[in-house]
Amino acid sequence: MKATLPAYACLWLMLPGLPFPATAASPVPGDSACTVCHLTQGTHYRTTPMADALEKVDVCRILREHPDLSFQEGPYHTHIARQGDRSILTVTNGAETFTVPLPWAFGRGRAGQTYVFEYNGAFYESRVSFFDALGALDLTMGAANSKPQTILEAAGRHMGAMEARECFGCHSNGGVFEGKLHPEALVPGVGCQSCHGPVQEHTDAVHAGDPVAAELPHLGALSAEDMAELCGRCHRTWSQIALNGPRGVNNVRFQPYRLVNSKCYDGGDRRIRCAACHDPHGELETNPAAYDAKCTACHATALHTKVCRVAKANCVGCHMPKIELPGAHARFTDHQIRIARAGDAYPN
Amino acid sequence: MRTLFVQFAGLALWIAAAWSQQPPAAETMLRHAIELHQAGDAAGAIPEYRAYLQQVPGNAMARSNLGAALSHMGQYEEAIVEYKTALESQPGNLPVRLNLALAYYKTMEIAQAASELERVVAEKPSDRQALFLLADCELRLGENTKVIGLLSPLEAQPVDDKALDYLLGTALIRDDQTARGQLLVDRILRYGDSAEARVLMGTAKLGARDYSSALEDFKKAVELNPRLPDVYSYYGIALSGSGDTPGAAAAFRKELESNPNDYTANLQLGILLKQDEDYTGARHCFERALGVRPHDAAIRYQVATLDLEDGHTDEARVELEKLIEEAPRFVEAHVSLATVYYRLKRKEEGDKERAIVLRLNAEKQGAETGGKGK
Repeated sequence: MKATLPAYACLWLMLPGLPFPATAASPVPGDSACTVCHLTQGTHYRTTPMADALEKVDVCRILREHPDLSFQEGPYHTHIARQGDRSILTVTNGAETFTVPLPWAFGRGRAGQTYVFEYNGAFYESRVSFFDALGALDLTMGAANSKPQTILEAAGRHMGAMEARECFGCHSNGGVFEGKLHPEALVPGVGCQSCHGPVQEHTDAVHAGDPVAAELPHLGALSAEDMAELCGRCHRTWSQIALNGPRGVNNVRFQPYRLVNSKCYDGGDRRIRCAACHDPHGELETNPAAYDAKCTACHATALHTKVCRVAKANCVGCHMPKIELPGAHARFTDHQIRIARAGDAYPN
Repeated sequence: MRTLFVQFAGLALWIAAAWSQQPPAAETMLRHAIELHQAGDAAGAIPEYRAYLQQVPGNAMARSNLGAALSHMGQYEEAIVEYKTALESQPGNLPVRLNLALAYYKTMEIAQAASELERVVAEKPSDRQALFLLADCELRLGENTKVIGLLSPLEAQPVDDKALDYLLGTALIRDDQTARGQLLVDRILRYGDSAEARVLMGTAKLGARDYSSALEDFKKAVELNPRLPDVYSYYGIALSGSGDTPGAAAAFRKELESNPNDYTANLQLGILLKQDEDYTGARHCFERALGVRPHDAAIRYQVATLDLEDGHTDEARVELEKLIEEAPRFVEAHVSLATVYYRLKRKEEGDKERAIVLRLNAEKQGAETGGKGK
């Protein structure tokens, strides 16, 4: 990854909203080529939310468990009904009815799940999403900012080609190459190659018994800055948010941006990089106390650094407060590590 | 608009003076060249002029005629050489200077064309054609205030002039003087629906980020006059803003078919190609745009980011530092420069750039919030 990361990283800087970095040619699809040798990591990784960042609707757990979902928005009634292995979106206002099968489910539903359908050769983001906290449909984040003028707009928002490439690029692997989205080639979910890059040369070299050529960039050696760029390819880099926003509380879910803004962030210090706290191959740790050791790796009396005078445990509970994101029906951990005082404005 | 200017790109064909001072053979050659030229046979006239000028190299008018014949054949670079040589001995010859400006204009050396036209207009302010051509050049160079300065004195004149309304209206709208620009749009609409009016209305809507409405105007403008300069560029911008990037790329390419050096089309297509990871194609576009506006910050920024992409980090740093010196509030440049510094392991400077970005963003947000509260 060392060789490719800088290229990807600066791509993001060139223009707001750049697409997911595409490989030069179609990569080996899925993780099967990797798990032949790296079975432990592969198996472990399959349990993570990232692995299920995108599902085909025929296997979508949420839609199978909720076969009859409805939502009313003004005159528009939205209905998602399960029919065998398919889920059908129907929107009607009494006079008109729009019906389309839903092929793609984005997100695992821990916060929410949004659907993408194709119509007239273009992709559309469903105007409604499933929210785990509600166990029901509500408006997709951002949809409340507009009022549908047509039955199609009530069903979904037209996605530009670049936006579709970005969405699928991050939520799947193997579907974006040569700068274009190839839905027929993609494998749902973030996969090994999403972070490690194309592995064709690696596997060829392994089969040929050439360990030098088989060497892959060592992601474990990345600095905090380079890792923030790598993870930020999907979770948004500091540069992207700094340039394009969103501003205010809406950027709380873009963790690399928030982390980089932390007073204690040092791009050259690996103790503050994403993987210092999060195992990219493992389930997300939800016990706050489990992160204490990460904080005390820097903040310790023995290191002659600042230590907390209030508490000795559950550091993130205070210093990385959970913030309610309007419209998301979920609270997000603010990765801008700070002394958060009650009543303080959200630091932007 | 382009056709408007073509009509006064006519030849300044001179019957060379002092026939009697020429050797008989040379005189015959020149006479023959002029006859051919006047008969429309520019290709035949060119070798005759060249042969004559070998014998009488100092005849500025014959040289200017050769330039005109070369221009007629589309050989503008060679024409420029001949016009410049003619002007060395006759620097005050305004028709030749105007032809030189036209040749520059045709080769899209817009800054050079503007420079020559400024001299023509300074000498002869009543030359409306030169004035309009200069205004068009300034518009292409992004010098909106200069266009407004040049054309505003004509605005009050009772003569209806669609070209004046279009050029001045475009400059005003680009300069955020929308209300005054709208008056000119209304004036143009008096002539009926036209591509010019549609472009102006669409441009104003683009300024308000109303891409879908702008798209309708540009679509109509393309239908009404696909040859109107910049019409496909604007159409592409609206398509891009609406999310149709493949359509936008096609529109920019369409513009470049008729105007290969168009600044906007090259810049926008370059950005799209960069997104598609076609860095060679992107650089080609940016370099063309840079040829038209060599000092333009937006295009220099794009080139710097391509340098960064290509691993020429220090070259990118130099350009970005220059940009920031010239435009201290250029947020994108600060962002990229922060990355450059981190890559160069100059953490403190990187941190400083990031702090500047956060401050500028906070100021912008504060201004927006304050504005809303008023």
